[in-house]
Amino acid sequence: MPSNAPHSSGLQRLIAQLAPLLIVCAIVFALPVLLNNDFLLNKVARYLVLGILTISLGLSWGFGGILNLGQAMSFGLGSYAMAMALKLKTVPVHTGASGLPDFMVWNNVQHLPWFWEPFRSLTFAIAAGLIVPALVAAALGWFMFRGRVTGVYVSIITLATMVVINLVIIDQQSYTGGFNGITDLAQLEIFGVAFDAYGRATYYLVASCVLLSLLVAFAFTRTKAGLIVQAIRDHESRVRYFGYDVALYQIFVFALSAAIAGLAGMLYTVVMEFASPTFLGVQLSLSVVVWCAVGGRQSLVGAFLGAVLVAGMQGALSESAAFLETWTLVMGALFVLVVLFLPKGLAGLAQVVWRWIVQRRQAAGRGVAQGVGQTEGST
Amino acid sequence: MDQFIEQIVTGLSIGSILLLVALGLSIIYGSMGIINLAHGEFVMLGAYAAWVFHTYLGLGLLASLVPIFLVVAAFGWVIERYVLSLLNNRPLDTILATWGVGIMLQQAVRLSVGSELRYVQLPPALSDSMDVFGISVSSYRVFLFVASIALFGATWLLMNRTTVGMKLRAIIQDRSVAASFGINAKRVYALTFAYGAGLAGLAGALVSPLKSVSPDMGTGYVVDAFMVVVLGGVQSLAGTVASAFILGELSGGIAFLQNDTVAKAIVLLAIVVLIRFRPEGLFTARVRA
Repeated sequence: MPSNAPHSSGLQRLIAQLAPLLIVCAIVFALPVLLNNDFLLNKVARYLVLGILTISLGLSWGFGGILNLGQAMSFGLGSYAMAMALKLKTVPVHTGASGLPDFMVWNNVQHLPWFWEPFRSLTFAIAAGLIVPALVAAALGWFMFRGRVTGVYVSIITLATMVVINLVIIDQQSYTGGFNGITDLAQLEIFGVAFDAYGRATYYLVASCVLLSLLVAFAFTRTKAGLIVQAIRDHESRVRYFGYDVALYQIFVFALSAAIAGLAGMLYTVVMEFASPTFLGVQLSLSVVVWCAVGGRQSLVGAFLGAVLVAGMQGALSESAAFLETWTLVMGALFVLVVLFLPKGLAGLAQVVWRWIVQRRQAAGRGVAQGVGQTEGST
Repeated sequence: MDQFIEQIVTGLSIGSILLLVALGLSIIYGSMGIINLAHGEFVMLGAYAAWVFHTYLGLGLLASLVPIFLVVAAFGWVIERYVLSLLNNRPLDTILATWGVGIMLQQAVRLSVGSELRYVQLPPALSDSMDVFGISVSSYRVFLFVASIALFGATWLLMNRTTVGMKLRAIIQDRSVAASFGINAKRVYALTFAYGAGLAGLAGALVSPLKSVSPDMGTGYVVDAFMVVVLGGVQSLAGTVASAFILGELSGGIAFLQNDTVAKAIVLLAIVVLIRFRPEGLFTARVRA
């Protein structure tokens, strides 16, 4: 008896898996044509950036089983790296010696601190925005995973570490701008292209980064290392008994996810035109978890869409305070329902519906074929 | 010397508030393995309940403690029954679910009562100050200290000297064996969660005269309380007491030497290191896995 399921080759499967990703990216790239409004485009770009951040969490949580409650830490570090470089490019009104940033002048800092010095180079800043979060995550990962810390304790450690860094940034006002963050930034300029926060160029930069992060994350999940990471999520000790260095793989996925979050942070500074301690706050970090869970933690595209839809909805309703309050209540309820009944999020739901449609069509097709066969037999 | 004693007393005062808030969390986490991120909201509900009883019914804080306990416990019972019991074997998801519940409670209060700060009056009998070791301390803070110790005692008795407590301990050891001896695990879990929530409500009511009452007041408490539980060790009530006062003295002391921010950062870092090297907490004996 031959199997009824269509026997697809590896290539066909790959295309089927990539299809949602490419469709979503095509829509993202096509949006400026439909939305002829710079203000709205800037808003959408903001949600797309949050989408990239959520992809990064989906990678470590959905695929690595590491629930990082401090994902915004990497995001914030990236955002500050970009802000530091752009701050040094400004022509401040009140400068001290050697063009100090204004908030340093207000805080009586005489010289640019040594760790600000290299950020005069934009190339360095962009590299730092990726590498610093990755290194911090690798160090934290080494600290945790070498000690076989798992589950809930990972969440607590990541959350606590983020709060510590957040407190330090707020406390060291003279070097970080403290509670106000770093504001009044210059425009990002790469190869002569100026990235105005409200311009098309910025939108396409963000859109390209969406595509890039989705592809990188997707490619990683299909490599051998990516498969081992998923195996560790499902059964850690079994993978360890096979002789794999479990901690090494966990550290890697943790650092990769942090680098993507750092990229999102840098873009966020460009889109928002400032960096603030709230970018690595508990509020944002937990929101990312919600978006990821609602969209579907085991689907990269799902996580991305979850962020864009939920954050977008919230943004749209924030014009009216009463609406926003009610929306937050509804959001909480929605989130609880998703956790209870849709552990794979909207992406899981979409998958179930899609499979149901395919099965019905197949069943219908078989029914027709059988009907034809019977009539042929009777004649 | 006076300054030193003053520091110790400040630390004890911080510690007793920590203990009040952490006790309920410790029960819930230790016995059910649920990280209850809605705990801060139970604290907040307790504080609002105190305010409601005072403003609308004219009840004093001390007179309304028992009804407050019952009201917040009822909330806890409903949440366990209709949300958490559905997540039996998904411990990580309970974090998410309780967080969602916390947001709902916060928003519900914000929408119904408003987000203005509310104030609860000190009980008149406790509004003066008294002499402790030669320095003057507000009577209410002394009362808080006594109350936190008393609640700890009551909880200890409940866990170790009552049938419900014995059943709960049996379930913690082995749920299926306990169930085969006829213990209704679902019911015991619901009661445990309700009790933990009720304790949080009491904590909220008791601290409400010291701090202003607002819908998001619970957020700060839940992190601190969680650190107390982790430091003290899961399933160790005595550890919770010790760690509450250690953390109280520590943050009081560092805040005195440096500032509040540094104190918070150092305490958090210490806890991160502790989790890495002693995930079972400072005060638990190692058990066979």
